[in-house]
Amino acid sequence: MANNILEFSLNRSTSVEPLNDGNLLSICQLRDTFTAAEIRMLVKMPELEIAEISGSFRHAYLDEIEDLNAALQQLLGVRVGAGMLKIIKGLLGEAENLDQVVYMVEEACHGVILHLTKKVLLKAPEDAEAKFAFYANMVKKSIRLYDRCAAFAKGSPLVAELEAEQRAGGER
Amino acid sequence: MISEFNRNKVINVVSLDAATLAVHGILDDSIYSLELDFKVRIDDLVCFAVSGRWLRWTTPECPEALKFLAQAEGFCLEPGIDEKIHKIIGRTACRHFANLFIECAYAVRETVKLLHWQQAQADGSELSLKDFLQRGKPQEGVAGATERSTAAANKVEIKADSAAAVAVDGLKEPAKKTAGNAAVGKGGFVIDLHVHTSPASPCASDSVTAMIIEAKRIGLQGICLTDHNYLWSESEIEALRRKHDFPVFRANEIVTEQGDMLVFGFYEDVQGIIKLRELKRRVAAVGGFIVAAHPFRGFLTFGADDIGLTREKAASREMFQLVDGIEVLNGKVTETENGLAQEVAQALKLPATGGSDAHDVSTVGFYATVFTQAVNSEKELVAALHKGNYQPVKFR
Ligand SMILES: [Zn+2]
Repeated sequence: MANNILEFSLNRSTSVEPLNDGNLLSICQLRDTFTAAEIRMLVKMPELEIAEISGSFRHAYLDEIEDLNAALQQLLGVRVGAGMLKIIKGLLGEAENLDQVVYMVEEACHGVILHLTKKVLLKAPEDAEAKFAFYANMVKKSIRLYDRCAAFAKGSPLVAELEAEQRAGGER
Repeated sequence: MISEFNRNKVINVVSLDAATLAVHGILDDSIYSLELDFKVRIDDLVCFAVSGRWLRWTTPECPEALKFLAQAEGFCLEPGIDEKIHKIIGRTACRHFANLFIECAYAVRETVKLLHWQQAQADGSELSLKDFLQRGKPQEGVAGATERSTAAANKVEIKADSAAAVAVDGLKEPAKKTAGNAAVGKGGFVIDLHVHTSPASPCASDSVTAMIIEAKRIGLQGICLTDHNYLWSESEIEALRRKHDFPVFRANEIVTEQGDMLVFGFYEDVQGIIKLRELKRRVAAVGGFIVAAHPFRGFLTFGADDIGLTREKAASREMFQLVDGIEVLNGKVTETENGLAQEVAQALKLPATGGSDAHDVSTVGFYATVFTQAVNSEKELVAALHKGNYQPVKFR
């Protein structure tokens, strides 16, 4: 067994392509030892709504999904954003052979969010001090980032100013 | 065509020995690059020797995340583990490490299935992989414990726990009573219309008792429990009202395909997802009231303004044709997002409410809704909502 030969391998790739009309095409592909699957979705901008969706799914031991494309159409109009996983799961159901499809739809949506995030991050200054201020300001603007990861944890230098402002606000 | 964002993930699993797997995961995308290594015991899926490495990251503090990866030591990578990975690794370390970890956990479970099948073949079994996994359900128990049955069991527990939370309560009321409860105060009758409690809302951290005590302490005139797809019973609410001598109301935050809705005066226990159109039909039939909760709750790193969402475009969403009101002050979203909700409510002439969306005592009453008249019962609350004599306020 300990021959250093892989037992299992997985490759997942997600890409987001802006189309000429401003909408986004997000594609998530999965290749692993048991699976060959793809989800393609068109996201309408700036509403961020799923406007077209299709997919394919082949798997070594899970039952075939009866009509995947018909099932996926239930997601039309769903908005990419916070709370979407609950909605995707609720609409597609939680059958075992749909687990991976739900995950891939979510990944394709994450791709869209990360694509838009990248555009914001491109505005980050290169100079260390200005860069620090850029991120400190980001958490101030979007308080949901606060205490939700190591970088913006309570006591992190990046949130020092925010916490000082909160203390001052509390005393008033 | 040009792809502007790409994320690639590669997970590899090898057998170290008959009892142990080694996992190596890579996440490399347009923004981040990170790696994760750990080992897993095949018999119980418990992981150990977790380590990670950053190659590219964003904020100057991201490298701190590595310190927190050790918290995954001892995680059992069964199907239900994803949520725990999100909560612990995602929130203390980094959501991208959590994403990679979840991917690795999936790969581990699949590997173990493959190994079990290979072992059976070596022992003379002629079953195909599919037949083997379907027949071998007990053996699969290691790697494939059913997530859904656990979720169902939890649901029952929640109901039982919340009843217990009402009955057995370790918290003491503050000595001084705040004046103004149950009567219209100088500024009106102020109710926080959006409050979550634990354990009814799994994402909340404080009990209903703690939330009520805090609401009284800060001088609210009432709170409305809006736990997620959760129906408080009339008797539970009555018991809470009597015990705390404080107006407690119940609503329900119901998830629809168009987002979360705060539903008042509607007492069906809705589980799973319901289409907004169907919800509207049922709620209207009993004279209830639907408020679109945080309709523009968006994204962590960019806002509606960054993507060019105008008031007109925002107001044209189908959702707004179906709701009775809009929550325009929500304590969990940005000012810009609340601002957009406010503009849309004005443009569509829809009533506007405010609520903290508190999940712990520190934020109860951050925002609320002020009614011009006292509200003494749920019936009165629903009637008042329909009447429209109220305004959202920043309270705390
Ligand atoms: Zn809520």
